[in-house]
Amino acid sequence: MRNSALFAAVLLAGANFAPITLAQDYDPDATIRIGSLYEPQNLDNTAGAGQGINEAFNGNVYEALFQLTDAGTVEPKLVEDYAVNDDGLTYTFTLREGVTFHSGDPLTAADVKHSIERVTAESSQSSRKRSLSNISSVEAPDDRTVVVTLSDRSISLPYNLSYVWIVNDAAANITAMEDGTGPYTLEEWRRGSALALSRFEEYWGEAPTNGEVVFQYFTEATALNNALLTNAVDIITSVQSPDLLVQFADNPSFVVTEGASTTKEILAFNDRVAPFDNVQVRKALARATDKARLLNSIWGEYGTLIGSFVPPTDPWYVDLTDVDAYDVESAKQLLAEAGYPDGFEFTLDTPDYDPHPIVAQFLQTEYAKIGVKVNINIITANEWYTKIYQERDFEATLQEHVNHRDIVFYGNPDFYWGYNNPEVVQLIADAEAASNEAEQVEKLTQANRIIAEDAASIWLYLYPQIVVSAANVTGYPVNGLNSQFFAYDIRKSN
Amino acid sequence: MTITQVGSPSRGRRHSVALRAGALLVGMHVFVGLLTLVWLPYDPNAFTGGRLEGASLQHMVGTDRLGRDLFTQLMIGSRIALQVGTGAVAVGAFIGVTLGILAAFASKWLDDALAATLDILIAFPTLLIAMLVVAASDQASLWSAILALGIALSAIVARLTRILAKRVLVMDYITAARTSGSSWPKIVFIHVLPNIWPTLSVNFALQFGLAVIAEASLSYLGLGAPPPNASWGRILQEAQGTVYTAPLGAIAPGIALVSLAIGVNLLADGLRERVDDRLGDR
Repeated sequence: MRNSALFAAVLLAGANFAPITLAQDYDPDATIRIGSLYEPQNLDNTAGAGQGINEAFNGNVYEALFQLTDAGTVEPKLVEDYAVNDDGLTYTFTLREGVTFHSGDPLTAADVKHSIERVTAESSQSSRKRSLSNISSVEAPDDRTVVVTLSDRSISLPYNLSYVWIVNDAAANITAMEDGTGPYTLEEWRRGSALALSRFEEYWGEAPTNGEVVFQYFTEATALNNALLTNAVDIITSVQSPDLLVQFADNPSFVVTEGASTTKEILAFNDRVAPFDNVQVRKALARATDKARLLNSIWGEYGTLIGSFVPPTDPWYVDLTDVDAYDVESAKQLLAEAGYPDGFEFTLDTPDYDPHPIVAQFLQTEYAKIGVKVNINIITANEWYTKIYQERDFEATLQEHVNHRDIVFYGNPDFYWGYNNPEVVQLIADAEAASNEAEQVEKLTQANRIIAEDAASIWLYLYPQIVVSAANVTGYPVNGLNSQFFAYDIRKSN
Repeated sequence: MTITQVGSPSRGRRHSVALRAGALLVGMHVFVGLLTLVWLPYDPNAFTGGRLEGASLQHMVGTDRLGRDLFTQLMIGSRIALQVGTGAVAVGAFIGVTLGILAAFASKWLDDALAATLDILIAFPTLLIAMLVVAASDQASLWSAILALGIALSAIVARLTRILAKRVLVMDYITAARTSGSSWPKIVFIHVLPNIWPTLSVNFALQFGLAVIAEASLSYLGLGAPPPNASWGRILQEAQGTVYTAPLGAIAPGIALVSLAIGVNLLADGLRERVDDRLGDR
């Protein structure tokens, strides 16, 4: 009863909004309340804090030399200018002038050196550590100049540096405090509930269009939805099920946007072990998977079908959905040619959270049609990490891969799925050593085609990135690449 | 004095409403459970409809996200609930009665030790013990769920058996049997068990209801029988995210679970009244 009264009140309030006037009339000191399911474990992105810290801090509290924008481009941020030597091994960065940390210290080259070394350090748990491993030295000849020397050419260096927060080298313990250069400072972090950021008045760039940003954390999607319905938050950063959208979809008080995500649901085989070391077996299973039906089951009208690991927002994307398209008869034939005319049996290690168990049941029914028996083994996220990611003790597994530009994983034969095609390894290494972007794109596109033809894994679908906000809030990022959620352009009208 | 006398028609006509209603509800589930062994409306794993279809003539309670028929799954759920309930009670009864009888016959300090251990075990919620047992087993399965719940229930059965058996052991006819040289297994099987059986069986019925609900809870938490076993708890869990778009998917397994649990409890109540009547008759 009480709920419905509240709901009616929200609807009435909604009726007062005039959506057309939103863009101009905003409150420059508004508090933006962002509802999220991803509370960080700590405040340091090199200490296993989880994706929540990228969401709250990237671009908001900490900045990097370069920024991966919401559109997917890489743009200079704290770097004013940079030059690359002819051999491509020495990068000289000139830092922007007049940048200060929240503590008041000015940004110097020594801070940048410290920040890069923090990520490449032995103890760092950064997911980008490996991609920066070709850095052989970082020098700071003067306060505004940073010289990075590489052991091998690396065309993705600016991109990879967009993951490296520039931290004040005088800052003590940044797992619980912050000292960045971004447009917001950390005001308060109440563990288990909220993280509040307030505008940094000495920010070097354009001032944010709001005064305060509060990330409010929920452990349950329905509770998060109710928070938006009852006006307790203004935005939900990523909705994880289409069925939670019905409350917002036809309601003028709310705006639903579907952006591009980089989150891929994949069936990863252990390509080292039989029968998955056989390309024909993998292709047979790919052809026995009705991906369109699966995507519809999980996401209804949302989401995108993909034919490989590369989402449409990556420069090396090509539409490969026709490779091993759904065809049960040819799947059976391939399986027979591979020496399994009567099918086989395998265990599918399935993380215990949605959508994996339901996807596993879908595959179980699909593969039964070609005589392949799937045993579903439900495991926790922790078990997944130790059993599969570390020990590689599995036959096949389901996982959502969130990273941006992560085709490079297929160039690493040591990766958990054990895909080892020397041609792909070479192409991916060559792409990194490319002298220009066109060459890099060409090599990676080629690699992309090969992994698809090899059915290295089965790429089931690409998640949609769905953001829902109250209608009086605009200017938020819609794509959420690398889980980022830039808050500085968000405007809220009264 | 055996269990057949419990149901003797001479008494308890005024109590029979609970017993009949309970028997009807449980009987319905037993019928459906047995039916699933020979006939099902659809293949439970086949995609026979669209995503989250509502109730229709083809799909009486609609379909799930994958387009599988929910009614078929609920029918199988009946069978799984009964299997787990029966299995868990059997395991619990075997372990519990054995321990209880041993304690009753044991020397004083062993008895005290067992009693204290049982009291501690009972202090833990059944579900928690079951979760620990499942966590300790390698791979969740229907059998691990049955075993886990059986072990969790056994403490309660053991304590009850111990108390009941001790009460019987001080009776004159036991002393008579002992003095006439009966061996202790003989005393257990001829005198003790038949005497405590009526009370125990009522308790088993209650434990059955508990086991059914606990299994649904385990499955809801993902610790029960793995998919594609259509346990009500798992159906409920899978329907949770779609409760606004397809509420039937969450309501239907809930009703199934409640009807069986109430049925079993009514049955137990009816049985208890009959036992009370009969004992009061002495």
